[in-house]
Amino acid sequence: MTKFPRYWKGLLAAGAMLALVSADAAWAAEKIVIGAMYPMTGRAGRYGIDSVSGAEIAMEEINAKGGVNGRMIDIIFNDSKANPAYSVKVAKRYISEDKVNFLMGVVSSAVGLAVTEVSKENKVIFVGTDHASTALTTEKFQPYYFRVSNNTYQSAAAAAFYANDKKEWKKYYVIGPDYEYGHRTWEDFWMLLQKKRKDVQLVGQAWPKLFEPDYTPYITAILKAKPDVLVTTFWGGDTVAFIKQALPYKLFDKMKFYNYDGGGNYELLEAMPTGLPKGLILSARHHLNWPNTKLNQEFVKKFKAKTGRFPSYAAEGAYAGVYFIAEGVRQAGTAEDPDKLVAVMEKMKIKLPEDPDGFTSYMRPIDHQIVQVQAIGETVPNKSYPPATMMLGNFKVYKAEDIIPSEADIVAARKAVKK
Amino acid sequence: MFTQLIGGLTSSMTLFLVASGLTLIFGVGNVFNFAHGSFYLLGAYFAYQLVSVTGIGFFPGVLLAALCTGAAGAVMELFFLRRIYGRGGEEGFQILLTYSFILIIDDVVKMIWGTDYKSISRPEILDGAWTIGDLFVPRYDAVVIATGLLVALGMWGLIRRSRFGRNLRAISANREMASSLGVNVPVTLSFVFGLATALGGLSGALSAPVRTVTPGAGVEVIIGSMIVVVIGGLGNFWGALVGALIIGEVTAFGILFLPQWAILFSYAVMALVLVFRPQGLFMKQGVAK
Amino acid sequence: MTPARTKPAGGLGQAAQWAVALALFAAIPLAGKKFFVTMANEVLVMGLFAVAFNLLYGFAGMLSFGQAAYYGVGAYTVGLLLSKGVLPFAVALPAAVAAGAALALLLGPLCIRLSGVYFTMLTLAFAEMVWGIVFKWYGFTGGDNGIQGIPVPDLLRSPVRYYYFTLAVVFASFWLLRRIVDSPFGAVLQSIRENPERTGFLGIQVRRYELAAMVISGAFAALAGGLFAGYQHSIHPDMLHWTKSGEVILMSILGGVSSFFGPLMGAAVILFIEDMIGKYTEFWEIWIGGIMLAIVIFFPKGVIGTLDSWIARGRDRERAADGTPGS
Repeated sequence: MTKFPRYWKGLLAAGAMLALVSADAAWAAEKIVIGAMYPMTGRAGRYGIDSVSGAEIAMEEINAKGGVNGRMIDIIFNDSKANPAYSVKVAKRYISEDKVNFLMGVVSSAVGLAVTEVSKENKVIFVGTDHASTALTTEKFQPYYFRVSNNTYQSAAAAAFYANDKKEWKKYYVIGPDYEYGHRTWEDFWMLLQKKRKDVQLVGQAWPKLFEPDYTPYITAILKAKPDVLVTTFWGGDTVAFIKQALPYKLFDKMKFYNYDGGGNYELLEAMPTGLPKGLILSARHHLNWPNTKLNQEFVKKFKAKTGRFPSYAAEGAYAGVYFIAEGVRQAGTAEDPDKLVAVMEKMKIKLPEDPDGFTSYMRPIDHQIVQVQAIGETVPNKSYPPATMMLGNFKVYKAEDIIPSEADIVAARKAVKK
Repeated sequence: MFTQLIGGLTSSMTLFLVASGLTLIFGVGNVFNFAHGSFYLLGAYFAYQLVSVTGIGFFPGVLLAALCTGAAGAVMELFFLRRIYGRGGEEGFQILLTYSFILIIDDVVKMIWGTDYKSISRPEILDGAWTIGDLFVPRYDAVVIATGLLVALGMWGLIRRSRFGRNLRAISANREMASSLGVNVPVTLSFVFGLATALGGLSGALSAPVRTVTPGAGVEVIIGSMIVVVIGGLGNFWGALVGALIIGEVTAFGILFLPQWAILFSYAVMALVLVFRPQGLFMKQGVAK
Repeated sequence: MTPARTKPAGGLGQAAQWAVALALFAAIPLAGKKFFVTMANEVLVMGLFAVAFNLLYGFAGMLSFGQAAYYGVGAYTVGLLLSKGVLPFAVALPAAVAAGAALALLLGPLCIRLSGVYFTMLTLAFAEMVWGIVFKWYGFTGGDNGIQGIPVPDLLRSPVRYYYFTLAVVFASFWLLRRIVDSPFGAVLQSIRENPERTGFLGIQVRRYELAAMVISGAFAALAGGLFAGYQHSIHPDMLHWTKSGEVILMSILGGVSSFFGPLMGAAVILFIEDMIGKYTEFWEIWIGGIMLAIVIFFPKGVIGTLDSWIARGRDRERAADGTPGS
């Protein structure tokens, strides 16, 4: 038997270090490489898995047409675990090992805020596809960041227009998950609504923790307050659990249910083939059945063919992200010069599945936030997208320019932070 | 106020069903089963499979789901946990082993059923609610409360009145002694694991119609039920019942007065109990020492 | 539990071991791969966190499930002081150590009254409360969004320089911790682990020693957190969550709690596995879970501890074959 040196642990450590070799960095030269991060495990897993498929569809479409300027697109995916520290590490690996040309993705705003730092330090463009915190485009803005989906301010602004038209909505109650997204989505809405209406009143609020399994105590408290409308800022499974638990209390007969940012996502409609009440007022960043354009229908059809299910809104965000990058590279004629790309991308227009006829989404130079219309609808019976039996209908559409913060507001918000 | 009380009671009973299994395993087996929430999750998915896909009816489906979960739990004990009993630093290894099951079960669930939210509709007769004056009791909640009470009663009978229960108490008091007195300790332990995880599975199956069935849902449950178990006294069956009632009602009323700090309520109660009465509020009777 | 080895400090064998380890870590940036530096930096930081945790668990037998609170408080001390421009980095990092020690002095007296699983649960409850406060206090901590763009001095701006700084601080801390473990104080901690009552009979005030262990462990955990904040430039309440406490327990036990450097190796192994598997599959959970399970079943003393005893057995056999008496 050979003798082990006493410092074998040290040798083991060295071996482990050397094992960390990414042999396959050579491909980067030819292809346009996108390093994507999405949550694929845990509660936000559906958003991540759908985003992956959405991005792949865009990549396949583009590559089938010969790529961009003769270069193919390649996307690397890694679970973000919805964890900022881990995602930062992945982003750093993408940049230094995989030599990616772009970073893309991220569902959680906290992860987005951490990754945008990496993007800034390394001058690698980061395209946000599905995190909504307004901080990324205002206080924490940096030139290499772009967002291709609506932020919470845009949903909230559209929601305030909608609520302003409902003269009978006077008493409001809000319930939402107790973290920045939940609070900010509500606060922007309430601030804007109060500017329009003097006769609205907040009769109560509740902030259960994110992913709270049991809302019964909150539901009884809400019923006691007798509001005209219940605003909720839940997303995903929390909306589902809340509705299921509120049903026997006939909460939906007693007040309007209003979830204007993530509530109208297909995952919710699909999760409740029975029991979903009519007349819930909801919205989402993308709808399967609106707008009724060829582009949207094609996207939904392709997604269904690829995965066997209908997409939640995150899929269209990722699809848009890949097209945004491809179009930027095409116009700039390079994938390697970030500053040239920024100059092109910040003035870019791009037609997306969520754009109705006569409108094209465009990037705003001051905050790199995409400008899009927002549609709010209510649940109506519709069996065209099984297993859902209800879809949104009676859409009210809000003009893109009306629902973004003014450039002066952006400047003021940035100044306020810098003091 | 009464409606608030009933609301709290429903929360309590679901908590109790999960926590009862956790405390049973700790009391008899001296194992802290971190993966207990994952068995809750398994129960919910089994119920989905049996009720919504196979269509064997709601109540048979829920029962069978609980049994299947119990079988999975017994497998974990029989083939894995058993191999680390009595090892130096066992408590740390227990945490690791059960934690590895959280990861494995989460991914297995994702592989089989995907990441979309699954749903089970409750039987139609349980859809509505009873109203008595101001009091409002959803029928399904009543079933959950009744099941919780039935389980509590049944477990009382099993632990206090049966030969099996006597064995449990003996093992819990002194494993070697029980063994020398002719109790078949290994078989009893596997059975306890099966029973306890079946309770977790039952709770998951019963929750499926009113909660979200999705990977990752087990983790939220484990911390909540751990708090309940600590408050009641680790390994104490009745303590778990009272602990669940306390946490359910503290949350139900706490949110009326301090809605902004709901996130801290249960931890604060747990810390208070541990500081002032670490053995739990009810550590006289029960399965454990 | 297997007793931790208490070889006397110094001695050529040990000095050589340290020198080799230090040289290896110091050589990593020479490979010219930025990502190696990122990983090695994290291995050092988590290694320090884990070794500090192991002072409590491996040596004193106190299984804390709330060490992330100290790690996070260290990170937030550095993050807040720097981003609000109150103090320079040279003061903020020691301040993080002080904050960790102070938190342990505050919570420790309540925790050490309990033992076993009750101690574990109370440390968890306190840590979750600290997490809840950091998570909710938007005005001060930035809430769940965390803090980004933490400014470190220009001297340490480059990742490689910061890495050498981390290396120096972490190895200095290892040396200090090793001295503590080898001191009479360390011997008392180990006797407390073996038998607290009997240690008490010797006239030793057990609780005082336990509190001291918590304070030392908390201070070094906070130092690790502070170092991380300086490297990452962004911090987040996740750093205080119970999953982080679980991670450090995992690293320590997998590495082996009975050896001083076991936890460091555990940190390296876990971080590499996590990175490698994450690259190739979205189903990383089942892989990590499966590997953990296998290690728990087949490596009863952790990876390092078990390999160590295999090698020792091999040596004994060899010696027996040579005719010299084995130990």
